[in-house]
Amino acid sequence: MQHTSILLLFLALAGAAILIFIYVFRTSKNANSDEGGMTNALRKRFWFILILFIVLGIFASVTIPKSPYFLFADEQPSRVVHIAAAQYYFLMSNEAIDPKNPGAGDTIEINTGELVEFRVTSLDVNHGFAIYGPNNDIVAQTQAMPGYVNRLRWKFTTPGTYNILCLEYCGNGHQLMKSTFTVK
Amino acid sequence: METSKFNKITALWIVVVLVLFIASIVLGIIMRLNQSEVISLYPTTFYTDMTVHGLTMIGIWFVAGMAAINYIMERYVKTSFYANLTALILTVFGVVLLWVSAFVGDFHAGWTFLHPLPLKLMWEKWATPMFLTSMAILGIGWLIWSLSLTASLLKKYSFSQVFAWQHLTKDPKTETPPFVLISMVTLVGIITCLIVAVVLIVLLFAEYFSRGTFVNDALLMKNLTYFFGHTIANEMLYLGLAIIYELFSEISGKPKWKTTWYVALAWNFTMVFILTAFFHHLYMDFVQPEGFQIIGQLASYFASLPAAGVTVFSIIIAVYKTKIKWSLANILFFVGVAGWVVGGLGAVIDATISNNFILHNTLWVPAHFHTYNAMGNVLFSLGFFYWFSKQFSGEEIKYKFSKLTIILLILGGAGFLAAFYFGGADSIPRRYSTYPVEFTTAKTLALIGATFASVYLIAILIFFANISKRCLNVIFSRS
Repeated sequence: MQHTSILLLFLALAGAAILIFIYVFRTSKNANSDEGGMTNALRKRFWFILILFIVLGIFASVTIPKSPYFLFADEQPSRVVHIAAAQYYFLMSNEAIDPKNPGAGDTIEINTGELVEFRVTSLDVNHGFAIYGPNNDIVAQTQAMPGYVNRLRWKFTTPGTYNILCLEYCGNGHQLMKSTFTVK
Repeated sequence: METSKFNKITALWIVVVLVLFIASIVLGIIMRLNQSEVISLYPTTFYTDMTVHGLTMIGIWFVAGMAAINYIMERYVKTSFYANLTALILTVFGVVLLWVSAFVGDFHAGWTFLHPLPLKLMWEKWATPMFLTSMAILGIGWLIWSLSLTASLLKKYSFSQVFAWQHLTKDPKTETPPFVLISMVTLVGIITCLIVAVVLIVLLFAEYFSRGTFVNDALLMKNLTYFFGHTIANEMLYLGLAIIYELFSEISGKPKWKTTWYVALAWNFTMVFILTAFFHHLYMDFVQPEGFQIIGQLASYFASLPAAGVTVFSIIIAVYKTKIKWSLANILFFVGVAGWVVGGLGAVIDATISNNFILHNTLWVPAHFHTYNAMGNVLFSLGFFYWFSKQFSGEEIKYKFSKLTIILLILGGAGFLAAFYFGGADSIPRRYSTYPVEFTTAKTLALIGATFASVYLIAILIFFANISKRCLNVIFSRS
């Protein structure tokens, strides 16, 4: 849903911008030498900047609170899944992963509606941890960085098989990194 | 004699840039063909190709902007020919080392060479130090050039004049030309990010030679990488804008643009925003302090205010209902500004943290930066190249070639970029040599991308064929 709205918003804005440029170009092509260009240009510029400022301000104040850092920040996660990424696999475990002895990991099943916290790190280079839903759109993501643990909180609403792909270039097996978990 | 030397070196820069541009476009088309599975490369070959494509493109369009502003700056101040020549020699040397480290040594850590990947040695052992040396050589050459141009400006203009602060007062006594102001603002960003690049490379070398006794912090290194990478990729666009402020009115047969209080204010704000917007590359690193993430979104948003409200609006005013002399050069500038706006819209959408959550490192990212590069900044520089070469022959490119070039550039660019945008909205990852089967549209989009990029390449070849002879004449002329 968000994917489609983003694309439509972009196409609408880009289309409008291109039309304005074409229109302005045509006014120049059709202009007579005695025409004076834009009237009251400074005032129009002022209004344009003011409107743009207000629109951007509204967008920022609406979208910033929806940033992933603030999602479910006041709730306690009922489930923690530990993720360690490495060239070229993801290790998933219900228990904390010891980087020196990572173990074999667990098969992960998550219930719809429960608040899960993914604690994501890397055992070697930077990797991405992107969760793709049953219709193969990105649902949520964070990065896997060596020496750090990124905490991603999410509630799944749709049951099915979810793929995990790496979205940070990590070497010549980058495109092969994949794992799955199930949402019941 | 001095002018002749600058003519020759600028012509040489143009030829070098265009030859490397054509080679790098071919590398890009090869990547899209591999993703569409029309051809089949080893993943390592794909990723060496990707590393070279990204770094060469960033490098050549940076030096193209620098060569252009150096040439124009001679109108206002005396600049150092030897700094320009040093940068040219070091750029060619650096690019050769980069290509050898990648194509012979298999180095393939990507253009961002994000720590600790370059130190993992998944290639010839010598390729990492050679790659880092190539980056150091490029960085030092460009730093010398930037510092030299800054010194030239500061010899004539005082510190406050070069930033046009007197224009913020009611009655400015002296005028700082917009070209001087924008060049200075851009040089500040360039020098800052090149110093950071030098620190980054020293830290990578230190870890490489420490044999495990010294390990850099991954988050710090990522911040340094994007401070350098984002800033240089943006500043090269602003170099292109300096050219437009100087040449658009001149080529159009109109009075020169002047610095006003709002132009001075806009560019001083731009200088600050551009140095803090890089935080948006780290949105998905949740351990980064939240304050930086919000600064990243606000700086990315508000950087568009001076850009749209002053520069884009000025171009619109200059053209709206105004009879002007259109030529290939100012049409390229005008189309380039439109491309820059469209790419900027894609960028602002992606710089929104809640959108980046589902767009980060998908094809949306190459979509927007290819828009404001291939359809923006490149066109600014091509406009300059055309204007420069025309000075020495006096002839316009034949009308049919001009028209064909523009049509193919727009058609090729639009199709090639659309494939990226639709792919990004479809969650298709960037930097994948081939796609998992789940991405049902990915192969088709890659083929569409390769096809339209070939159309864009044809336009560049026509352009090159038309201006390279003039540039070679300048290089080999006796005067």
